[in-house]
Amino acid sequence: MRSVAIVGAGQTRHARRRKDVTQVALAREAVTSALQDAGLTMDDIDSVVVCSGPVLFAAVNQPEKWLVDAIGARLKPVVRVTSGGGTGLAGALAAVNQIRGGFAERVLVVAYDKLSEGALQYSISTLYDPFWGREFAVGIMGFAAAYWRARMDSLGHTEEAAAMVSVKNHRNALLNPYAHVKKEVSVEDVMNSRPLCWPIKLLDVPPISDGACAVVLSSEDAAKASADPAWIRGIAYYSEAENAANRSMIQSEPLTIAAQRVYKQAGITNPRRQCDVVEVQEPYTCFELSYYEGLGLCPPGGAADLISSGATLIDGDIPVNPSGGCMGANPIGATALIRLAEVAQQVRGRAGNHQIPDARVGLMQAGGGWANLRGVAVVASTKG
Amino acid sequence: MTDGLLTGIDQPQVLETTLSLPYTLTTGRAAGTFLAELGNKRILGSRCDKCARVMTPPQDYCSRCGSASETFVHMPERGTVTAVTRTDRAILALVQLDGSDSGFLHRLAPDSHHAAVGARVRAVWADTPSQSMLDLDCFALDDTGGHAGSAIEVGEVAVVAELAYSLTLHYKHAYGPHYGRLFDELATHRRILGSLCPSCRNVLVPPREFCDACFVRTAQYVDVADTGILQAFSVIHMEFVGQTRKPPYVYAEIVLDGSATRLIHTIAGFDVTTAAERLQIGMPVRAVWKDRADCHGTLDDIDYFEIVTGSERGD
Repeated sequence: MRSVAIVGAGQTRHARRRKDVTQVALAREAVTSALQDAGLTMDDIDSVVVCSGPVLFAAVNQPEKWLVDAIGARLKPVVRVTSGGGTGLAGALAAVNQIRGGFAERVLVVAYDKLSEGALQYSISTLYDPFWGREFAVGIMGFAAAYWRARMDSLGHTEEAAAMVSVKNHRNALLNPYAHVKKEVSVEDVMNSRPLCWPIKLLDVPPISDGACAVVLSSEDAAKASADPAWIRGIAYYSEAENAANRSMIQSEPLTIAAQRVYKQAGITNPRRQCDVVEVQEPYTCFELSYYEGLGLCPPGGAADLISSGATLIDGDIPVNPSGGCMGANPIGATALIRLAEVAQQVRGRAGNHQIPDARVGLMQAGGGWANLRGVAVVASTKG
Repeated sequence: MTDGLLTGIDQPQVLETTLSLPYTLTTGRAAGTFLAELGNKRILGSRCDKCARVMTPPQDYCSRCGSASETFVHMPERGTVTAVTRTDRAILALVQLDGSDSGFLHRLAPDSHHAAVGARVRAVWADTPSQSMLDLDCFALDDTGGHAGSAIEVGEVAVVAELAYSLTLHYKHAYGPHYGRLFDELATHRRILGSLCPSCRNVLVPPREFCDACFVRTAQYVDVADTGILQAFSVIHMEFVGQTRKPPYVYAEIVLDGSATRLIHTIAGFDVTTAAERLQIGMPVRAVWKDRADCHGTLDDIDYFEIVTGSERGD
């Protein structure tokens, strides 16, 4: 199989609302930054993958048509990929497969959402069956809160443990120039914050953001021009039947399967020891706890101990979300690609103030739907 | 059997739903300036400084070369029809304004029935501006003038930065045989149906053609109880656009006795402000049905699920 590397990445200034740019101008900002980071121009790009959330988010159908014109990608191949919070990773996987298959040497992946334009929870709630349950849907928050509560009983994922995730990610976001939520919070602040869908409280929830991210993926040959490629050592995205029988939702099977496959591809047998940095897409703090277990950073039921131990802090032995994760900014369609871009920049030594010293292997995770779409990728500074 | 059944085959039965979504759209520099200038009865275009093409309406980035160096220009109000079609509401045309390299989609005046490609037209302005494309009311046929010259550069002008917008989307979801039967039974007999997978022997609610896990055809309908176990719950305090009930309320996932799948509903009949302490996962619950007169064959025929206390169960 052909090797694939990330040779450039860029993000926008994220904000609660970007009044200065249209959807496509937002995407263009990330593209310009990624091409600059890669030392390339649009002429070097063979194919474009556009990633964004459901069209209900911002009321523009087939936004990729508008977008390719605005980024100067006229007459290039383009596909759009959408998969909830995992959208950007699903798009990166599509790009990786275009290169592996020999269709393209360099693919630009651009992911964005301008969430300030529409009614977010209402739009997300339309992923429920209109006959059976939609009237009770509260985006994915009502659902996520319900299964976090269930995990408290079976896995000990307490409110305090999740609050520690919020404290850690908020603190890390202070170091990230792209984050727009910049405030230190304490465990008490989180515990005392207003319940939205109990046990999820206001400070367990990332912001709603306008933002974009772009990544340039390259074949091995084309990557020879790059001084510091970040090699994709493994990448996978899995689903499961949402309404199948006997789903406990205590652990995510697709996450376990994706992690096992990616670890096998990347030659990882002990992720906690072999990975230097981790970025996970946490729609709410409780998700990060379950990812620790699904990714094998700790045994099932060990997440609360892992966060309490300080191991996932920026100076811990397995730092998780040194960028601040979604807590700093959460443009949903872009957020998975931001996690991938962050680990790529870490292993390229370009992560700035939140750089993990000597990071060589990065692990990222993102997912879509509510619990039934989960993806994982490992990137490294060497091809392996 | 009555005519009102959802499983009727003479005409497909549908669930009608409507989504009413509010938006605040960001126009960006080009569209925002274009809209502001329409209010001043001027048509704005843009000229790419690299490839010198003039586009109307203006764009922030050249769609040909991708350059961001667009200069705004005022366009002549006259042009030539390059394409025309008639709909039941308007005569639509692409109008290439004099000096422009692109077609501008707009409507022609209602009396333009004989308009053809090549016809000369001029802008007609609305009497009262509404900050929309319709500040330019339409183009009217007019072959009195010659070509009106070229685009003129403009300085800084005001921008319409945001636009309120809404989408109202009507849907007709077909029930199909399984949902139809389910809701007919629910409305007529207060009976909840599942379907049995012959392979894993699980009963799936709502009933369906295939087992999601085994992907074999389900064998038969099975009645399930209107009692069950609370598998997961949260307490909704948040308010949001499109919400169907007033917080606080309980979001509940229930596994009905005799089934192996999740039913999404609410738990009520107690002081919901105590839900966090009062509710326990694994707790038995029971459907409280609405009066028959209020039942219409939806999940809403169950008003809520109530907690079954220990003494009622005889434990």
